Amino acid sequence: MNVIANLCKHQQFKRTLADYRENLYRIAYSWCHNPALADDLVQEALAKALKNSSQLRDQKTIKAWLYRILSNCWRDHFRRSRDCVDVDDVVLVEQDTPDLKHDRNQIVQRVRDAIALLPMGQRQVISLVDLEGCSYIEVAQILDVPIGTVMSRLSRARKALKERLLAAELPGDSSVHRLRTAK
Amino acid sequence: MSSDKLSEERISAFIDDELDATEKEAVFEALSQDGELRQQACELRQLSELVRHAYSDPPASERFQKGKPRRVSPLGQAAAAALLLLFGGLIGWVSHNPQGMAAKVSDMHAMVWGEDDRAFHSTSLADATAHNELKRVILHLNTSSPARFEKALNTAEQLLRKYASDSHGAEIEVVANASAIKLLRSGYSPFASRVRALQERYFNLTFLACKDAMDHIRELEDLKSDVRLLPGVEVTPSALEHILERMNEGWVYLNV
Repeated sequence: MNVIANLCKHQQFKRTLADYRENLYRIAYSWCHNPALADDLVQEALAKALKNSSQLRDQKTIKAWLYRILSNCWRDHFRRSRDCVDVDDVVLVEQDTPDLKHDRNQIVQRVRDAIALLPMGQRQVISLVDLEGCSYIEVAQILDVPIGTVMSRLSRARKALKERLLAAELPGDSSVHRLRTAK
Repeated sequence: MSSDKLSEERISAFIDDELDATEKEAVFEALSQDGELRQQACELRQLSELVRHAYSDPPASERFQKGKPRRVSPLGQAAAAALLLLFGGLIGWVSHNPQGMAAKVSDMHAMVWGEDDRAFHSTSLADATAHNELKRVILHLNTSSPARFEKALNTAEQLLRKYASDSHGAEIEVVANASAIKLLRSGYSPFASRVRALQERYFNLTFLACKDAMDHIRELEDLKSDVRLLPGVEVTPSALEHILERMNEGWVYLNV
């Protein structure tokens, strides 16, 4: 009977994970702007979640727990590829995609571009707050930073987005230059 | 400058509903007096909407989806099929030997399967419930066979009658899932009057239907509302979970 109970539990947990897949993918995509990489990250995060399901003590915290795993996968991705890929290069990869160039003027693309120009920390905070409706405390737990940092990153991110999206048009070239960092 | 920064963070917190009532009130007050601040809050909210809009429909990963079917080679499929067969065989082998497995958990199965009539044996039940003050039994039905349902009702009645004189009495639940739902369904069950009579006579007898199975029927028959059950029949979200829960609480399980 224990075997069946465990099987049931496991099945239910898998279903719950599947329900979160779409949300995780959206967040991962907003971080890396690369569908294939976002998919890989989500896959990796879900595999880790399945493997370490016993670490989740309270089912209510599953959302924050999953995003935290995803955030760790994202960080690990950069650790692994530090020699060849820079954070900002991921942004540049996206700019090369022909179909994205095609609808560059569309509002969605403009917002995505503006998000892509944000430093990673700010990008993560704003996506978790605005896309997934996470509370500041949850974001602090997910990214393992103090809540004050969450607030300041969010505020800076919104200020930057405001300048790029709501203020008078900035010349596109100058904003592209800004994303390059000195190694 | 620092007060500016503070106020920006606070407005952000305000639009994200992160402020407590007092702080919120202060921000409302400030907003009512300062047009520029109102504009700022409005813009922040607009940005928030823009971000949501920009990612409401992220592009699917084409590379991943295209690669997926190609990754499974015929050899891999054969291996998977073989593994599945092996797994199925293993499950079959384990489940056909329930006594050995269940004996470790409790002695329940020893009294469940009287092979001669597949009904309850009082001596075995006495053994199984000896440690419990209450005689609590859960009867599980998962087929639409009327004969089995009748057997379940007979068993339940037998138990209730037997323990009626007991100082603690008995508590019995009849749980139906899968196609057994039909036997608790209003307009379909041939046992409607019998169920009602039992319910009226024994307050400690409960009939439960599995919500999962009900939803399944609803989907199959394309019904607009929930499946209608006999009066007094309760609903449990999942029969399986309910049974496991009851067993954890020390109930005796009988599969009819």
